[in-house]
Amino acid sequence: MTMPGTDERLREAFGALAAGVQADPDAYRRASAGWRRRHRRRRLVLAIVAAVVFTAADAVGLWALSQADPNTHVIFSDPSYRPVAPEQVDRIGQP
Amino acid sequence: MKDVGTSLQRTEPIPEPSGPDREAAVAELFEAHHLPLVRLAVLLGADDAEDVVAEAFYQLYRRWPRLRSPEAAATYLRSVVVNLTRMRIRHLQVVRKHAARTGDELAHAASGEERAVLRDDQKALVDAVRALPARQREALVLRFWLDLRESEIADAMGITAGSVKVHVSRGMAALSRMLEERR
Repeated sequence: MTMPGTDERLREAFGALAAGVQADPDAYRRASAGWRRRHRRRRLVLAIVAAVVFTAADAVGLWALSQADPNTHVIFSDPSYRPVAPEQVDRIGQP
Repeated sequence: MKDVGTSLQRTEPIPEPSGPDREAAVAELFEAHHLPLVRLAVLLGADDAEDVVAEAFYQLYRRWPRLRSPEAAATYLRSVVVNLTRMRIRHLQVVRKHAARTGDELAHAASGEERAVLRDDQKALVDAVRALPARQREALVLRFWLDLRESEIADAMGITAGSVKVHVSRGMAALSRMLEERR
C-alpha cells in the first residue's frame, strides 16, 4: 500500500540530490597515485614474506642437518652388515 | 581485503590488458563512471563517497585480470560501492554506539550543500529513505535512481531477484507510512 506518485517523487528527490554532488576534478590523479602506491606496497610485502619463508625453511633444514650424528649412516643402517675384505670374496664361477 | 563485488566469478581466463593497458582501461572507466558512482554512494548515505569510490576503483585495478569481461567492470564497481557503503555505515553505527552518541544522526556527504538544493518535501523524502534499513535503501536507490532491472539490482546487491522485489516493496510501504505520519 504505497501512496500514489511516491515512486515519481522518489525519482525527483534522488535526481535533485544527485545533481548537487560534484566530483573533485583532481580525483583521478589522487586515486590512481593511491592505488599504485598500495599495489607496490602489496607486492613488496609479498616479496618480503616469500623471502622470509624461504630463509626460515633453509635455516631449519641446515639446523636439522647440523644436528645429525656424522657416524650414523642412514642408508647402510643394517647392524649385521660388515664390509667384506677383497680376499674373502667368493671367486667360484669367475674366469 | 575480501572481495566485495559480485562480477569476478569467471571460470575461463580471457585475455585482458595488463600493465599500461590496464592503466588505460581503468582510467577510461574512471572518466566514465566516477561521478555517477560518487552520486550513488551519496544517495546510499556514505559520509566519504569519494573515498568509497576510490577504494572501488582500487579493487577493480587489483583484480583486473580476474574480471569476467571488460563490460562487467561497471557492474563490479557498482556492486563494490554498494557493499563498501553498507560496511562503512555499519562501522559508523558501531563506533557511535560505543561512543554513547546513539542519538546522533549518521553524518553523510549530502548533509551540507547538496541538501540545500532540495525542496522541503524532497528533504523529508530523502530523510525517510535514510531511515530505512540498508537493504531497502539500496534497492530503492538502484531501482528509482539508476532505473536498474531486478536482475541487475540483484547482481549489484549480491541477492536474488525475489529478495529485491521484497526489499523494494517493503521499502516503498515503509516510506509511504513515514510520509503519512509526517502529514
